[in-house]
Amino acid sequence: MTDDDFALSRRTFLDRVLLASAGLGMSTAAPWAARAAEDIPKGQRVRIGVIGTGDRGRTLIQNLNKTRNCTVAALCDTFEPHMAKARAYVPANTPVFTDHRKMLEAREIDAVVIATPLDLHARQTIDALDAGYPVFCEKAMARTIADCSAMVTRARQRGKILQIGHQRLFNPTYLNALKRAQAGEIGPITQIRASWHRNRSWRRQIPPGGTEREINWRLHRDRSAGLMTELATHQLQVANWFMGGLPTRVMGSGSICFWKDGRDVYDQVALIYDYSDGRKVIYTSMLNNARYGCEEQIQGSKGTIEPELGRIYQEVQPGAVPALARMRADVQAGRKNTVPIGGATWFPELPVTTPGDSLGWGEYDETMLQFEGFGEAVRSGKEVPGLLAQAYHASVASLLGEQAIDQGKALAWPTDLVTF
Amino acid sequence: MTDMAASVARFTAMGTRVELHLFGCDDPAPLAAAKAAILSVEDALTIHHPSPATALNDALSTDGTATVEDRLLFAALLQVDALWRETGGLFDPSLGHWSALTIDRTNRRVSTARPLTLDFGGFGKGYALDHAVTALLAMGVGSALLSAGESSIAVLGPHPLGGGWPLAVPHPEDEGAWLVELELQDASLSISSTIGAGAAKPDRAAMIRPTDGAIVTTPATAVAAAATGAEAEALSTALLVADPAARERLRAAAPDRRFLFPHAAPVGAKRALEPTA
Ligand SMILES: NC(=O)c1ccc[n+]([C@@H]2O[C@H](COP(=O)([O-])OP(=O)(O)OC[C@H]3O[C@@H](n4cnc5c(N)ncnc54)[C@H](O)[C@@H]3O)[C@@H](O)[C@H]2O)c1
Repeated sequence: MTDDDFALSRRTFLDRVLLASAGLGMSTAAPWAARAAEDIPKGQRVRIGVIGTGDRGRTLIQNLNKTRNCTVAALCDTFEPHMAKARAYVPANTPVFTDHRKMLEAREIDAVVIATPLDLHARQTIDALDAGYPVFCEKAMARTIADCSAMVTRARQRGKILQIGHQRLFNPTYLNALKRAQAGEIGPITQIRASWHRNRSWRRQIPPGGTEREINWRLHRDRSAGLMTELATHQLQVANWFMGGLPTRVMGSGSICFWKDGRDVYDQVALIYDYSDGRKVIYTSMLNNARYGCEEQIQGSKGTIEPELGRIYQEVQPGAVPALARMRADVQAGRKNTVPIGGATWFPELPVTTPGDSLGWGEYDETMLQFEGFGEAVRSGKEVPGLLAQAYHASVASLLGEQAIDQGKALAWPTDLVTF
Repeated sequence: MTDMAASVARFTAMGTRVELHLFGCDDPAPLAAAKAAILSVEDALTIHHPSPATALNDALSTDGTATVEDRLLFAALLQVDALWRETGGLFDPSLGHWSALTIDRTNRRVSTARPLTLDFGGFGKGYALDHAVTALLAMGVGSALLSAGESSIAVLGPHPLGGGWPLAVPHPEDEGAWLVELELQDASLSISSTIGAGAAKPDRAAMIRPTDGAIVTTPATAVAAAATGAEAEALSTALLVADPAARERLRAAAPDRRFLFPHAAPVGAKRALEPTA
């Protein structure tokens, strides 16, 4: 891809985001989108210190490099092999650190990006805020609900931006889906069935010098809530967003069902989130069957949206029998034609397999767009509106789900949360 | 016929879609009466919620005895009894135990020598259409086509343009191909098939040969035309589950109205469309 091609595809992408976010009600439902697609004023690039250069961290670095307003100015990781890979994406003289506090003390950055294991997010975020830096931290927010709240509270106390990585909020397909849902195309949404099903252990090979707890932190309960914080957060964010509200309670069940390899996080979960007026989100995640993959089936009385597939479907009413409709038309026209009819009894309740319509707009890296938004927020001192509440509620929903599973009972949505 | 006015009703009943097409009639009353007739048959025969049929099943499943008050249910039992005899036991909504039943016509009492339950299934659709036809005739309708799930069809009177109704049964797998074409007037058609979209219904009961309890899975479609829907249903079911000898006897009695099409040719091969001999 040449620079011109890139500029062009960026422009098309931004146009699509703008188009998608321009619908009725969209400024309330996705206030960040239009803002993120605005032109970026020229000026100094925001110097970013990246903490955590693992899989996600390196993806983030590449996306930061694509932005028009950010630059990677420092790297921090405790694991040298990851750092070595990350250095390939930044100028050779970029300072590197093994302790994030040292990076903060060096004061050669304007903001911090965090992509470390979940249990470290709160400490590192709060350290960076205390040092006076705005923070972009990957989802999920933190290992406990109390820590999620503490992060928001501290950002407010310090008057610093806190933004959490939830890239679907900037995805033009999702934005377009939301716009069409808001326009009433699928009727009132009463149920979302979401799943993230994979068929692999989720266990990473430990490289020389690595340890099980560091490399496979996702499989250790004290570091991560496993499927709930690593996968479900994304989809619970989407669910809250399309439901236009928050759950009232959650019930769930989980097990270590297939991968009995010493992990202590569930490899299978099933939950029901209740929303107002009896609406529900039904969530499942598992690690030994991938047929149903990752999807949110957003269901209203007039249709269904499947944003991962990028499709919208109208409800199929038990239609007129085509052969009989033709017969009527023939009779009206004075034609007597053979009526082809008959077979195994027509049955209305098989899954409908109509192809639906495309929601349009192929892949493009919305992660980049999150960073341009973050960069502008840092420059202007004004947060991108709406994002933090989305992220906070998604993390709370995933952690509350974990608690409901652990305790084996339905849990009400907490009343002591930070308000927005 | 010059008056092409037509009225139509589309609704779901008996677990499927029903369409009633009336010609030469723009009075809504006959349509409403026909629909009501179908819904009352459904109410009497359904086993999907409490009904006269489930009450009877409760009694018969403990080899008991019951008085059948419901007029539609009792009439259905008498018809089934006649059709069970006519098909040599191949049509049997009790899956092989009908011989254990005794029906006392005067006292409307039914008793069984062994526990059994009844599932009127396809018969119910044909029987419901019969009642709809009766209602339409009583109200002077002269031309109509009724369909219940496209597996049960009844035609009343002549086609609106004169003569019989030309109907063709499509091949369940070969799009555009027909198994058979029939011209019918004041008659009913029933199609039973072990393949096709509707055959994939998740909780569809298996086709069982009542005479020996065998489950019939051979890919085939049976087509039967008869004076009533009830008879057409009984015959298409019997043709589908019959062994070759019994099937031949049934077919020989009305070779131009009873057909069995096997679909057993290897996948991709041109399938035989001839009825079995
Ligand atoms: N938004 C998304 O789609 C998405 C996708 C993947 C991961 N993530 C998130 O990104 C985060 C990281 O996930 P990952 O897959 O990159 O994990 P990873 O294990 O590959 O990377 C984590 C990195 O943090 C480093 N690290 C550990 N302790 C540290 C410390 N004290 N100081 C500095 N660095 C330290 C590790 O050495 C490792 O390089 C998680 O929060 C995860 O949920 C988000």
